[in-house]
Amino acid sequence: MIRSGRTDLPLSRDPSVRLVPWIIGLMTYLACLMLAGSLLLSEMLGQWTNGLSGTVTVQVLPQEQEAPELLNERVEKLVRILERTDGIDEVRAIPLEEIAALLEPWVGGTASLDALPLPRLIDMRLNVAAPPPMGELKTMLSNADPGALLDDHGIWQDQLADLVIALELVAGFIVLLVGLATIGIVIFATRSGMAAHQDVIEVLHLIGAEDGYVARQFQNLALTQGLRGGIIGIAMGAATIWGLGYAADHIDSSILPQVKLLAWHWVVLASLPAVTALIARSTARRTVVRSLTRMV
Amino acid sequence: MRYGTGPEVLREVTCTLKPGSFHFLTGRSGAGKSSLLKLMYLAHRPSRGLVTLFDEDIATLPRQRLPFLRRRVGVVFQEFRLLNHLSAFDNVALPLRVAGVKEGTIRKHVDELLAWTGLGDHTEARPPTLSGGQQQRVAIARALISRPDLLLADEPTGNVDDALGVRLLYLFEELNRMGTTVVIATHSESLVSRFKKPILHLEDGVLIHHDRVEAKDGTADPRDPRKQFGRGTKQ
Repeated sequence: MIRSGRTDLPLSRDPSVRLVPWIIGLMTYLACLMLAGSLLLSEMLGQWTNGLSGTVTVQVLPQEQEAPELLNERVEKLVRILERTDGIDEVRAIPLEEIAALLEPWVGGTASLDALPLPRLIDMRLNVAAPPPMGELKTMLSNADPGALLDDHGIWQDQLADLVIALELVAGFIVLLVGLATIGIVIFATRSGMAAHQDVIEVLHLIGAEDGYVARQFQNLALTQGLRGGIIGIAMGAATIWGLGYAADHIDSSILPQVKLLAWHWVVLASLPAVTALIARSTARRTVVRSLTRMV
Repeated sequence: MRYGTGPEVLREVTCTLKPGSFHFLTGRSGAGKSSLLKLMYLAHRPSRGLVTLFDEDIATLPRQRLPFLRRRVGVVFQEFRLLNHLSAFDNVALPLRVAGVKEGTIRKHVDELLAWTGLGDHTEARPPTLSGGQQQRVAIARALISRPDLLLADEPTGNVDDALGVRLLYLFEELNRMGTTVVIATHSESLVSRFKKPILHLEDGVLIHHDRVEAKDGTADPRDPRKQFGRGTKQ
């Protein structure tokens, strides 16, 4: 057995030992950002889906030269009808000020909105357990008011989900590439170490060391290097995420969704150094054992 | 035996070494002495023929069992092959550590052996700071620490003066009396003639003559198979 802190191979003096943790750190940093991005996207999609599914919006289009009072009457009439409809928990006519606030980022201050024929909006929260059939709801609304359009956000949600899934796949692919690159680095460093200390390995082999004994020396070093690199990477990643979050908090925009990493997301990210260290350890062991099997 | 696809470096080698025997292995440079020793300390397998060590056919023995056989063989390499980054103590302790012996036991045995070899005051010295003779004693101590059944030495007197060479041979003779089978590869005719031990003589990879020691039934001495090296043909 190898006592803790004592090794038969002077691996810690190799130049690569100083470099490898930093390269692993960089890889972990990239993986951390990709993983955080992926988790944020999932969270964002979840929020959108939870927020939008179960809600539908009715647009009430103004007729040409229609007085605002008449438009208000049409909206109130539709609200009354919808409130009596089964399967709808809540109906709310969105005030004109809210609609103006939603459009402000695109068209500027509220003063210029007065000149625009803005549609009015009615938000409905459906009973998720027993929602009304959308077809019947559409027919009922168009019969009550030909200028009322029902938007169940279905197309919007589907497209959004497709986009988020595509982005998650890309992030996952990048994490995979980063993982493979880390494995490659560890293989290269381990083989370099073996080549540099071939004479020592031969002596150990000839005095009766089993492959596992030699492998343990490399795998212990790889574990330490992986852990160091992982901690470097996660520290840089956490700083970057915090910085981006800080910057996002100070952007006054209603376009950007307010999404933050949850506690369990941070737990996942915090596990990256341990995962990196275990991957490095396992890779080093396999590399050494595979190389040693070429010896008698 | 051959290296890779090269020519055979050993052929027509047939001998049996009795447990507890002492042999000199002689021959000119390139005659195959080191190659024969490599077969004995399991650095190589024979490319053809039969080599048995401790009743095991080393050509067919599964690779994972070889380390346990190697631990029963002590080797003094020609260039010592000490690990320069380790102290004399750690060099000598190495065979016990790879065998998983507890540190307390290792400390006791290594200190005893280093004191016996006259290196008690140099336990923490690195090999490069030791003289050639001291390095050689560290190498010998490393070969002996696990009390091997078979001791192999490749030109052990090559780097020391004649007086020390003779003292070393007395040490090997003493070990042999305690039951260890000893094979010493050497160029030194004076040592061979002085100690009058059986000789295995190689010429161009062929064993020219050896003193065969066998039991009455023609096989190697079966009394202690653990101490038995070689039975059959090396080619």
